[in-house]
Amino acid sequence: MISKTATQHLIDKLGAANVACEKEDLLVLGYDSTPGIHHLPEVAVFPTTTEGVLAAMEIAQHEGLPIVPRGSGTGLSGGSVPVKGGMVLCLNRMNRIREIDEENLTATVEAGVVTLDLFNAVAGKGLFYPPDPGSQKISTLGGNVMEDAGGLRGLKYGVTRDYVMALECVLPDGSILTTGGKSVKDVAGYSFKDLLVGSEGTLGIITEITVKLIPPPKDKRTFLAYFNDVRTAGEAVSKIIAAKIIPSTMEIMDKATINCVEDYVKIGLPRQMAALLLIEVDGHPAMVEEEALGVKTILEQVKAAEIHVAKSAEEAGSLAAARRTALSALARVRPTTLLEDATVPRSRLAETFAEIERLTAKYGLTVGTFGHAGDGNLHPTVLCDERNSDEMHRAHAFYDDLYDQVLAWGGTVSGEHGIGLAKKEYLARQIGAGGVKVMKRIKRAFDPKGILNPGKIFVDDDPCTEAHIEEGFRVSH
Amino acid sequence: MSHTDKLGNFTSEDAPDYGDVLQCMRCGFCLPTCPTFALTGRERSSPRGRVALARAVAEQKLEFTESVREEAFFCLDCRACTTACPSGVRAGEVMEVCRSQAHQFFPPKHVGKTFRAFILQKMLTNPDLLETSMLPARLYQKLGIQWLVRHSQLLKLGPEWVAKAEGMMPELYPPLRPQLPDVVPAVGEQRGRVAFFLGCIMTLMYPEVSRQTVRALTHQGFEVVTPKEQKCCGAPHLTEGDRSTTRSLAQHNLDLFMALDVDAIVTDCAGCGAALKEYEELLEEAGKHDQLAAFRGKIKDVSEFLAEQGLRTDGLQPVEKVVTYHEPCHLCHAQGVSKQPRDLIRAIPGIDYRELNEASWCCGSAATFSLKYTGESQQILDRKLDNVKATGAELLVTANPGCHLQLAWGLKQAGMTQRVVHITELLGMATPD
Repeated sequence: MISKTATQHLIDKLGAANVACEKEDLLVLGYDSTPGIHHLPEVAVFPTTTEGVLAAMEIAQHEGLPIVPRGSGTGLSGGSVPVKGGMVLCLNRMNRIREIDEENLTATVEAGVVTLDLFNAVAGKGLFYPPDPGSQKISTLGGNVMEDAGGLRGLKYGVTRDYVMALECVLPDGSILTTGGKSVKDVAGYSFKDLLVGSEGTLGIITEITVKLIPPPKDKRTFLAYFNDVRTAGEAVSKIIAAKIIPSTMEIMDKATINCVEDYVKIGLPRQMAALLLIEVDGHPAMVEEEALGVKTILEQVKAAEIHVAKSAEEAGSLAAARRTALSALARVRPTTLLEDATVPRSRLAETFAEIERLTAKYGLTVGTFGHAGDGNLHPTVLCDERNSDEMHRAHAFYDDLYDQVLAWGGTVSGEHGIGLAKKEYLARQIGAGGVKVMKRIKRAFDPKGILNPGKIFVDDDPCTEAHIEEGFRVSH
Repeated sequence: MSHTDKLGNFTSEDAPDYGDVLQCMRCGFCLPTCPTFALTGRERSSPRGRVALARAVAEQKLEFTESVREEAFFCLDCRACTTACPSGVRAGEVMEVCRSQAHQFFPPKHVGKTFRAFILQKMLTNPDLLETSMLPARLYQKLGIQWLVRHSQLLKLGPEWVAKAEGMMPELYPPLRPQLPDVVPAVGEQRGRVAFFLGCIMTLMYPEVSRQTVRALTHQGFEVVTPKEQKCCGAPHLTEGDRSTTRSLAQHNLDLFMALDVDAIVTDCAGCGAALKEYEELLEEAGKHDQLAAFRGKIKDVSEFLAEQGLRTDGLQPVEKVVTYHEPCHLCHAQGVSKQPRDLIRAIPGIDYRELNEASWCCGSAATFSLKYTGESQQILDRKLDNVKATGAELLVTANPGCHLQLAWGLKQAGMTQRVVHITELLGMATPD
């Protein structure tokens, strides 16, 4: 338990409005969007400046409290869940856009700026920040950097990491580290910023981010193609890539997902179809013309059941918005949505769908699959009920089998959600004991006492037991 | 919402359904749509946080504490989160049920209890009493006492909400209900026959608005039947957490209106419409699903109804005005009626329609919220007024008396010149005598 003096000290430094210690506040800061994981912190703070972060961290150190950073709590691997209690450091009140540099094409923001707010602010100046995770309306840049979030445009434009130019972060020893800058090239020493991106709050607390901006595409064309079976959709994706066309977006939804999304958005998605692909090509008008023709030809070749072209930017926008609701919409069916993040080399896409179908039948589950088909990044989502332990068992067996196959194909256990709590045991399977050892040595170099987001990413030195975690979710032992 | 099994730390009467709280997968899509979260930045004052609190009570991780009660009432019940939720979670309704729980866990003190029971169970259930009770208020305005009070320092002596409530009161006319004929015939070629559900606030505070509603309906070719025995829809009881009185009112109105031979039951009050559409769920335990579904199918907001039937524009006079539209939460979020009022406004000749930024963001009225949380309500209102100002509109159209009161008051306080009109008043301007 945090001492009264420490709480008072926090209030003195940060202001009473920026410190929460009532149980009702703490209860709702102990989760993110990962199902079944929840833990009470002892205190939550909302610093509004880097100095505030530093002050809070000093007090936490002094009290021996673990520190867990949190943005908007939209993570999908439990990264911001305080499994060992301690202090939740909420960064969402540090939400100023400090600068949009139109000469260097960069933007500098505080960690709590909402992704879409940045997108809109730079769009107002004729610039483009591409990473667009499904939760872009809610998620913060700090969280995006910590989990290296992807999004619908990842295929052509890359993920958050590809846009991070500089970071300011506070380390557990009380130092403020600034790494990177506005220079396009920078090979001075180890690339700390690349270590910090995707470090899930285990190395330092990021307070400020400078990102790269690019000119927006001049034109785009959006296709919606329907398929009578999922594998044909997978085949279309592989053929488009093999034809050397890189669409900005190539998203897939299976029948279960189509129906759930349609229940919510009601825009006339085809309920009877086995799958749909949302494909967008963008760039210079001449190139868009050429690529659109190429995409259309391939869709016809593989015999897509129907091919539609969005009539307007609004229609294209509403299709992308509909796709972003996929995961949440799947939650209509059953109380618990266990989502995974398997990613395979793209040539394996059709086989991955076949494997998902096989395992779904084998374990007698309801599975909705959607995802970034063009990236080989799928989100097979088991729709289940955490109160049914037998079903949860089968769900976990499903993922075990699936990941074995994904790894055998040279895939990865997480394309964009991070390891957090949810996928610790799979990480070791993927990178091996040697890999984990090196990662831990890096962790110790930044955080020798292990106070930053403990219990995440690595299987051992995980004193949190199952008792800490709500039933129904796989945890590492 | 079950009445039998006890769920966790809730009482057994009017507790949330466990499935309803489990439905939330915590994606946070609701967060940017919640006015109280925007105001406080506190997760517990967000829909996701509120549902999580209810879930914690259900899972016995939390008692039904004072803070849970506070969040249940601090919720505007604007339902913006329901619109935003892909998973179909209805946080507003969960909070309504929690209000009912709050009264069980924290029974009001004697005076408060008597007063609350008097208002909810005695006054609001009896239209005649309600109408008589407005007489002093009308005299207060007519005899110049209002002028005296407003020009003295008297209002500054009481709590803030008294001054606001006094200031919000529109110019009062005699209640409409006793004046309105039981049947008003259609004008021109008759297209149908509708029943009119006349809300309490409408008949008492805005009788002239509802008069225009009936006039517009008849000029559109509908015979309008207004049964005098109708009672309050029960919305105030729902928001105050008195679900049992709501049920008895609901049963009364249901029986009364279902006995009429009408094509639709039309209301011009978004709050009433939303409550009437909820009867199906409220009374589900009584069975009679066919009757409930039939009733639900007949309830229409006036703009929803006219948009469905198609506005007869021949003979309408042009209204040369710059107009914008504020969406009542209980129309757009609770009933999903959003496009229809805009279509209706645009169909009136002469109108220069300007879309309002954040049109579906609450105005801060929210039943008694504007009086209970005057400061917070003002902040929400200011955001709305800034958006109204940016449109350059002369008329601010809305469709709910709560919004009407709050917006008119806010505009006056801010020294803005826009006039607030109900959508049927606008239609009334276009309708020839």
